[in-house]
Amino acid sequence: MAEPPQALLELKGLSMSFGGLKVIDQLDLTVNEREIVSVIGPNGAGKTTLFNLITGIYRPDSGEILLEGGSLVGLPPYKITRRGVARTFQTLRLFLNMSVIENVMASQYGRTKVDIVRAMLRTPGMRREEREIRRFAEEKLSFFGQRLMGYRWNQPAYSLSYANRRRLEIARAMATGAKILLLDEPAAGMNPVETHEITELIGQLRDDGGFTILLIEHDMHVVEGISDRVVALDHGVKISEGSFEQVATDPRVVEAYLGTKATTTK
Amino acid sequence: MHHLLVFNIIDQIRSLGWGGAFSLLRNGIVLGSLYSLIALGYTMVYGILKLLNFAHGDVFMVGTFLGYGVLIAFGGALAPVIPIVPLILLMFAASMAGSGVLGVAIERFAYRPLRNAPRIAPLISALGVAFFLENSAQLLTNSAHELYNGYALGGKNGNFGPLLNPVFSVAGNPVTVVMVIVVLTAIALMAALVALVYRTKLGKAMRATAFDREAASMMGIDTDRVISTTFFIGSVLAGAAGVMYGLYLGDAYFFIGFLFGLKAFTAAVVGGIGSLPGAMLGGVLIGVVEAFATGYAGGQWSEIVIFGILILFLLVRPTGLLGSHAIQKV
Amino acid sequence: MSDASDTPDLPGPPPEPEPPEGKPGSRIGVDSWVAEADERRTRGRGPLGLLGAGWEWSPDSLKLLAFVGIAASLPFWFLKSEGDLFNFGLFTLIFVGLGLGLQVVVGLAGLLDLGYVAFYGIGAYAYALLSSGYYGHHWPAEATLPIAMGAAVIPAAILGFAARRLLGDYLAIVTLFFAQAFLVFTNVTNPTLFGKGFTGGANGIPNLDPLTFFGYKLTSTKQLYFFLLIVVALIAAAIYLANQSRIGRAWRASREDPLAAEVMSVPVNRLKILAFIFGSAVAGLLGAIYAAISTATVSTNFNIGVLIILYAIVILGGFGSIAGVFVGAIVINVSFEFLEPQTDYPSFKRWLFYGLIIFVVARLKPWYRAGVILAGAAAFGFVVHALVAATAGDAWTSGLTVSGAGWITHWVVIPQGGHGNFRNYLYIGLVLAVLLVASLKGWWRTIALAPTLYLTAVVWENVLVENPAVTALILFGVMLIVLMAVRPQGLLGTARVEIV
Repeated sequence: MAEPPQALLELKGLSMSFGGLKVIDQLDLTVNEREIVSVIGPNGAGKTTLFNLITGIYRPDSGEILLEGGSLVGLPPYKITRRGVARTFQTLRLFLNMSVIENVMASQYGRTKVDIVRAMLRTPGMRREEREIRRFAEEKLSFFGQRLMGYRWNQPAYSLSYANRRRLEIARAMATGAKILLLDEPAAGMNPVETHEITELIGQLRDDGGFTILLIEHDMHVVEGISDRVVALDHGVKISEGSFEQVATDPRVVEAYLGTKATTTK
Repeated sequence: MHHLLVFNIIDQIRSLGWGGAFSLLRNGIVLGSLYSLIALGYTMVYGILKLLNFAHGDVFMVGTFLGYGVLIAFGGALAPVIPIVPLILLMFAASMAGSGVLGVAIERFAYRPLRNAPRIAPLISALGVAFFLENSAQLLTNSAHELYNGYALGGKNGNFGPLLNPVFSVAGNPVTVVMVIVVLTAIALMAALVALVYRTKLGKAMRATAFDREAASMMGIDTDRVISTTFFIGSVLAGAAGVMYGLYLGDAYFFIGFLFGLKAFTAAVVGGIGSLPGAMLGGVLIGVVEAFATGYAGGQWSEIVIFGILILFLLVRPTGLLGSHAIQKV
Repeated sequence: MSDASDTPDLPGPPPEPEPPEGKPGSRIGVDSWVAEADERRTRGRGPLGLLGAGWEWSPDSLKLLAFVGIAASLPFWFLKSEGDLFNFGLFTLIFVGLGLGLQVVVGLAGLLDLGYVAFYGIGAYAYALLSSGYYGHHWPAEATLPIAMGAAVIPAAILGFAARRLLGDYLAIVTLFFAQAFLVFTNVTNPTLFGKGFTGGANGIPNLDPLTFFGYKLTSTKQLYFFLLIVVALIAAAIYLANQSRIGRAWRASREDPLAAEVMSVPVNRLKILAFIFGSAVAGLLGAIYAAISTATVSTNFNIGVLIILYAIVILGGFGSIAGVFVGAIVINVSFEFLEPQTDYPSFKRWLFYGLIIFVVARLKPWYRAGVILAGAAAFGFVVHALVAATAGDAWTSGLTVSGAGWITHWVVIPQGGHGNFRNYLYIGLVLAVLLVASLKGWWRTIALAPTLYLTAVVWENVLVENPAVTALILFGVMLIVLMAVRPQGLLGTARVEIV
């Protein structure tokens, strides 16, 4: 690379505990601009907690979360999203009774301005913004090819299939106007074909969409396929970091997954 | 010309003196014991179902009528046909059992079908139940204030009975038998409840269900039954409070459920909703505040003062005295 | 590239079946065809279904225009008398307006606001204090109406702020207490200000000015009716437009999933408080108008009973449905007016009651089950009546019905003078019987229904008809419970999917 990579998201000494249990322990992590970083680790390693900390749902006990050098700690979730961090949920949390396109329009709240009075008066400015919201939503939905297009726009989100719900969640996160997307197990519950598709899609999100991506994923095919860098967590501690090959062969990672001391054989 | 309210209050504090202050404190503690008993029902149901059970105050109201019914069936306070100790015990038994069954029925028919409904649905159903009970009581009693005449229980020819005998006095302000009964019964019932929740298997099941209903049912706990039992226990306490309300404050009336329930509910919130000791503490606090507000500022201000306390607590300490922040599951 | 193995593991209508292979273009077409066919299937048949479909497809502005058009014509052919126009026209419109405001708070933002009536009352008292001889201010309506709205908004903002951290549950208790504190304040506390009880105590404030805009007085019922119609139409339009904007989407998103909405850049609490304040402003405005119309304001007009009626309106019409509020308000107000003690339509009440029962039973399937139940109830009644007449004294069957309809006394047992607690036992017996029916299944339920229906008739004739006001409130309470259990989306609401 010609110029040194810029750190977009930086975690420094992040710690969080529930009761006496340390869920995240002194975690340092840097995600550079236009990078795809995967977080792996066994169940309960603190991966989703990490996302909850970054998006402001939890407040860290100590440590710093910096986005482009500005601290996110203590900000309410909606302000963090406005700063440029958006996420999807492992347990899909769509607005089920709203239509597909409304889901993607709703998440643009933070990047639009019209207030209630102008909305009730339908001022020209309001109409203009409304058209722009719709155009932006359609643009994000078109990212998924024909899957979320046409007649589906006006169907309620609950009528979508599981895989399409996952896609809609990504579209919704994209529409917030964020720079970095936190994807929480985007391939969960998908078959191999769909998994392959979503892997390609995540690559396109970076290449065509210009997003930086922090990814939690259990499916190693996905992780292997797209990650610039992989971080392995166990019990809230970073146990390995590097390329997929480096991490996958790290004895500590193998140990964390298999639960045995792989290095000591008697 | 009227003085400003503040000057009225200062005058009132001066003229009532320490003896007056004691009598207000005494009234507050007795009243607060009743609030505590009812608040426990609110807080238990909230803890286990995250449901504001608006109907609970009206279960208490039905309890006052059940106690009154037994009293009348045995001749009334002025001419009881059986000795007063078994009579009062019978009133307690009938009211507690009847209220308990009512609570279970409400849960079974109004809330259980809505277990997986949107969160607002059971709240509205609860409003409906409260409204139904209140207006049914109005219909059945013709809006009458049914007097317990507890003062005359055991007295000859309508004279004061033993319930009003002083147990001890402070500066000429007597603490009567009925007050002692109310406070001691409340303490005993609360102690029994705490023992039940923290010492028995059922209590463990209740705490597990409150913590995570789904997980509890996967662990083999019959959560429906635990929830039913919770309603039963809460309503039994409300029934006991109903009889004591009748004996201490005098009457059964269809509207008291709403008012008393509202204050008990506030007590649960101030104490920290979901917390058993919080409900007890909150109840006594609200009772004492009400008594002092009534004594110093006048009864017309008492509810407004309590409302002010509720707002203050929500602003300063939204989790209540003993409540704690729950971790949000994502 | 196949969607066929997508796993629909969530509740709700099953996703449309998707063919495993095919050209992308044609597959989309097939899907939309399936979706349309689905829609056709769920639509009703016959003229009513056609009407429903027409309603479904017409633009929303047309719907509002149709309502305003029909409502504007009513005083000329249906509600000709001043009294009818007042009771049915004005009050229905006030209820529509109040229901619309409440719909924003409850239906769109998903907040349980139990202090709504207090904001309504605050508007009324604001008008009463500023536009009457009470303090000698005779301010015109163009000044008092905005002030009334402001007077309602300020406490709403404070309450919303106080409960902001746990809006969902705490707002319910805070607002309920606020409603009660408001009643006590106006009715009992009545502090002395400027030499007079500020709120007039139990007597309220009498002799309010009529609504006067820039010197033009609205006095006749017809003028008031048209004025209210315009106000209500404007409120409906404003709420509709707000709902179609980013604010409305944010409201609905926060109702659906507050946490997801917050993470999707929506300041959930701020928007909920906005909805709460918006609803309160609507209530304050209508309170002022109501006070002017009724020329006096008394605190009992803002009690919990009114609150329940408003909730019944919103819930009957359906959460989140603006058109539903109109339907709910018309149904509830008309039935309430009929049940009012001073409205003397006793035989109509009776027909309404029996008609409703037969209508509900007749919807049971299969049809012969409904027949068995109705015939059984009738037969059961005659048998009981004959038994009572033969064994008990004359006094047990010789009571009179509240009005006419002598034939009913041959079927329903009506004792003279109530016979002690007989009525109370009847009523409690009915409640128990209904609970029993609710817990039985299949033919057992059918068998139990027949005597229960008869018991319902007996209770109606003996107890409920005599206390129409309380009866109405009991029925609303029951309606809330039953609707929540059977059709929580209301009449016009769409079935909602929620994952708990």
